[in-house]
Amino acid sequence: MNTTHPPQPHSPAIQVQDAVKTFRTRSETVRAVQGVSLEIPRGGVVALLGPNGAGKTTLLDMVLGMSEPTSGAVSVCGERPRAAVAHGKVGAVQQVGGLLADLSVRETVTMIASLYPDPLPVDEALERAGAASFARRKVAKCSGGQQQRVRFALALLPHPELLVLDEPTAGMDVQSRTEFWDAMRAETERGLTVVFATHYLQEAEDIAERIVLMDAGRVTFDGSVDELRSTSRHHTVSFVWPGGEPLPEFAGATVSRRSESRVHLRTEDADALARELLTRTPASALEISRGGLDEAFAALIHRDDAAA
Amino acid sequence: MSLTYTAHDVRRNLRSIPNLVFVALLPAVLFILFGAVQGWSDARLPGGNVSAYVMVSMAVYGAVTATTAISAGAAVERLQGWGRQLALTPMGTGGYAATKVAVALLIAVLPVVIVFLVGAFTNASMDDLWRWALAAVLCVVVSVVFAFYGLAAGLIFRSDTAVGAASGALVVFAFFGNVFMPLSGGMLTVARFTPMYGIVGIARYPVTEGEVATMGGAPQTDSLLWLVVNAVAWAAVFGIIALLAARSSTGRR
Repeated sequence: MNTTHPPQPHSPAIQVQDAVKTFRTRSETVRAVQGVSLEIPRGGVVALLGPNGAGKTTLLDMVLGMSEPTSGAVSVCGERPRAAVAHGKVGAVQQVGGLLADLSVRETVTMIASLYPDPLPVDEALERAGAASFARRKVAKCSGGQQQRVRFALALLPHPELLVLDEPTAGMDVQSRTEFWDAMRAETERGLTVVFATHYLQEAEDIAERIVLMDAGRVTFDGSVDELRSTSRHHTVSFVWPGGEPLPEFAGATVSRRSESRVHLRTEDADALARELLTRTPASALEISRGGLDEAFAALIHRDDAAA
Repeated sequence: MSLTYTAHDVRRNLRSIPNLVFVALLPAVLFILFGAVQGWSDARLPGGNVSAYVMVSMAVYGAVTATTAISAGAAVERLQGWGRQLALTPMGTGGYAATKVAVALLIAVLPVVIVFLVGAFTNASMDDLWRWALAAVLCVVVSVVFAFYGLAAGLIFRSDTAVGAASGALVVFAFFGNVFMPLSGGMLTVARFTPMYGIVGIARYPVTEGEVATMGGAPQTDSLLWLVVNAVAWAAVFGIIALLAARSSTGRR
């Protein structure tokens, strides 16, 4: 079974080639992933960003060997996903379920640890995941954020080379979210590759070096945060407008926000708009800024909707 | 198979007190009510007395309650996401099944030991020590049939309450399987085809040697072959239902 793919030490953490995954329900065929190719080298933090239903979880399921692609190929650390998982190369924090409510945190970690040939010591896993302080608590009595840290501890047990996190901070408050990512950062400094799915743009921007944006089963963008920002062709031009004076229409620009003194216009041609404002209107204190990440994100996601 | 994992799982099951009362204490109480204190308890059977017959019956009832609860719980815990967690470990489905069977049998030992102890200290008697030992071992072994039943129930109903209902239905199986009250006439004829009849008959064989205890009426016997066929057939039926239910649950996604 493994003859085709001997594990190679320098193979990428994740390699996906033309992966397609379709689900057949009674009434329709859902094409959750529609031809994704992706290579994630070792080391570093990659965010898989996209709205709900974009196919993020389906893609990660294939990476974890939970499901097979309908067509195409997925390899993890140079092996088939199932083999990589069985060899303890992959740790995962999954979106839902996964814990037994009537066990204590320590019991949970001890039980799962006993299934690996050479696990991280239980205390160390609890410590590194930030779960040591509530190790004696029953899982049922843990908050959502604490349960995520238990899952994180479980993910660390096999000494993984790759950590896959599916919306790891969903439902966490700001503080637990910060603490969670602090703990995660310590792991990436050890050389772990981290791939996490999220629909929080901010989180992707703060944590990841590279963003892979998915929408409707396809990768619509793959690059750094700066590159994502620069895909936005929109600029915002803001200026002070004298009170009482009616604001005329400007060709190719829309009002995005208006406060008491400042007007914010959104446009694709900032130069022309600025020239017009400064030469023919009473506008003053003009500022031009490039469109935010939010805009770039929205533009990339809705492009497909418009085309369809 | 991991010893640590199995030991933790056994301990976890022993912690749920309400289940334990049903599994371990109820059969002992039933034995005292229907066996030890009854006037017929000293009546003779080929390998022992009627009290021993009732003792084995109740031990089997306790053991199947245990295996049903454990296996149904296993199906539910897998469907609720623990299965995904385990899928990330080197333990495969086979290892998981083996672990759960071990846990179920270990828990099933508990009611058998308790009921047999109560029996030994009251008036249950068997002619030889090997009959005691064989009967006790058989009680545990035959309860595996109901591990398949529990598995099927868990996979179909997918919730703890429905699994509770499946455990409750064991009382009905026990009654119609000639486990509690000795049945006779038409009831007994029907009973021979129900799922608990075969296994309880096998476990009682060291006491009865096939003789069917009835409340009056002509004496009857069961062949060991028939009892085994019944047990194997029902194991197959429950097993196939569980397999089909497992297929449809994974096919969904």
